[in-house]
Amino acid sequence: MIVAQLAVNGILLGGVLALSALGFNIIFGVMRVVNLAHGDFVVLAAVFTVFAFAQLGINPLLVLPITIGAGFVAGALVHVLLLRRLPGEVASAEASSLTLTFGLSYFLAGAGLATFGGRFVSVPYLTGAYALGGLQIPQAKLLAFAVAVVLSLAFALVLRATRVGRAIRATSQNLDGALACGVDVDRVRTAGFAIGTAVATAAGTLMSFVYNLNVQQGVLFTVNAFAVVVIGGLGNYTGAVLGALILGLTESFASYYAGATLAEAAPYLLFILVLLVAPNGILGRRTA
Amino acid sequence: MRRALIVAAAVAVAALLVIAPHRLNGYGLNLLYVTVLSVGLAYGWNIISGYAGYFSFGQIGFFGVGAYATGLLVADKGWPWMAAAAAGGVLACALSVPLGYVMLRLRGPFFAMGMFGMAQMVRVLVTAIPASGAGAGLFLPPGSGIVEVYYWTLAVAAGAFGITLWLDRSAFGLRLQALREDEQVAGTLGVDATRAKTTAFALSALIPGLLGGGYALFLTYIEPDAAFSSRLDLQSIVMAILGGVGTLWGPLVGALVMTQISEALWARFPQIYLMIFGGLLVVLLIALPRGIVPSVTAAIARRRAHAR
Repeated sequence: MIVAQLAVNGILLGGVLALSALGFNIIFGVMRVVNLAHGDFVVLAAVFTVFAFAQLGINPLLVLPITIGAGFVAGALVHVLLLRRLPGEVASAEASSLTLTFGLSYFLAGAGLATFGGRFVSVPYLTGAYALGGLQIPQAKLLAFAVAVVLSLAFALVLRATRVGRAIRATSQNLDGALACGVDVDRVRTAGFAIGTAVATAAGTLMSFVYNLNVQQGVLFTVNAFAVVVIGGLGNYTGAVLGALILGLTESFASYYAGATLAEAAPYLLFILVLLVAPNGILGRRTA
Repeated sequence: MRRALIVAAAVAVAALLVIAPHRLNGYGLNLLYVTVLSVGLAYGWNIISGYAGYFSFGQIGFFGVGAYATGLLVADKGWPWMAAAAAGGVLACALSVPLGYVMLRLRGPFFAMGMFGMAQMVRVLVTAIPASGAGAGLFLPPGSGIVEVYYWTLAVAAGAFGITLWLDRSAFGLRLQALREDEQVAGTLGVDATRAKTTAFALSALIPGLLGGGYALFLTYIEPDAAFSSRLDLQSIVMAILGGVGTLWGPLVGALVMTQISEALWARFPQIYLMIFGGLLVVLLIALPRGIVPSVTAAIARRRAHAR
């Protein structure tokens, strides 16, 4: 029974992790940038949601459009004001974009700490649970999972069926090809960064009623998203969903059987193992 | 003539650094120690990340290993601290060989984050060792003063500079730089990539490993957050980038400038210290992407060319 319960918890967690990882994936796709500030956007949105709920009494689901909008604008700004200005001719362009987002991550975490303080918080929203044949299904987790699935589907629809979505996929798959077809790659990158960050902040709002967290845990969510994407294969969206379920289950079982401290190491371990054993992801094909 | 001047200047600087602890007050000595420590860490990071081009966000793991090894050997086994610190450095270096063999197959962001993950895992494992106070902390018996710790750190930092000097002028250093520019091409030219980068990685682990032991003695109390300090990790990277990644003088200049800024910030704005530091890193990468030293050298070269 406990195994089934842990599996349910892991799958519910995986849904939210998948959403966060989709945002990470799109940014890597269009920019080839590993966004180390990703988790900080997640956590900032989560802490903001707690703040809005506790101080202003706003329902967390109503905060969702706010954090999505703010994430969209913030992501666009990060691309236009920062990443686009990195000099391209420096030999280690990849390293400098990585280092830039590393610095940005500390900046955001510090700004969050100064604004919201360092306490561990969460939204006490829907604290009940459904009983289902001996299994406990916490309402908040179920809601977060459901919303994450809806948003992920909406995200997939944007990528599949809209002009900007097509341009984003084209840029991810083949930069030169996209340029040759007249895609304005620079604008697509801004759009990709904006959408990716908006997805991250949306995931953050959902995290706020699943996790008990503080503003300095951004790196944890960055690593989670990175791990998920690596497990699924960079640029592979189906793989990312699968990766999120694997990570969710791993964390759920590890924290029960190995304790919270050792479970902290689980995403890192999984991440490094997959990188070494199957560097193209468990589905084994590189779409990016 | 020029050579004699350089030697004279080096001797003068060395003499000053050796005499300094007897002339400074407690605050001044602390600041000097932190500066020298930063110089050492920045040079350590620069070997694998600057010369070989493998950006690592986890070198602090080796620093933590050195600190904890020293702490345990001194507190539990009663070793003299310098022997313990040396053992800590050797341990970090020994761990880095198999680790590097595996991790250095990864590249770019994967290596950077993989190393970050490694450091985190080591940190988690260390807190799980019963003797290490299970994360609560470890007290070291008092006794060795800061002056001894300073000399130790100075010697290690000087050694790190010496290694970099050698890298800057040796065939081995050229091999590393060839790897950084293009690993496949370097391979076709007969560079044994695995061997070269594993060696560089081991050197990059030895230095923080040795420095960690001194830091444990400096603090006299170590806990995971201090031994695996993300502040020191971020700082050493920022310093090397500010001064000039993969250059001989870059880490020194970067560390000297940054420690002073950092000291002023830490004293005045402890709350938003990391935020300012992160913001500074972002601005630096955009405004001064190559770092101080290469920018200044380029400017001088331009003036000379102009004067002719």
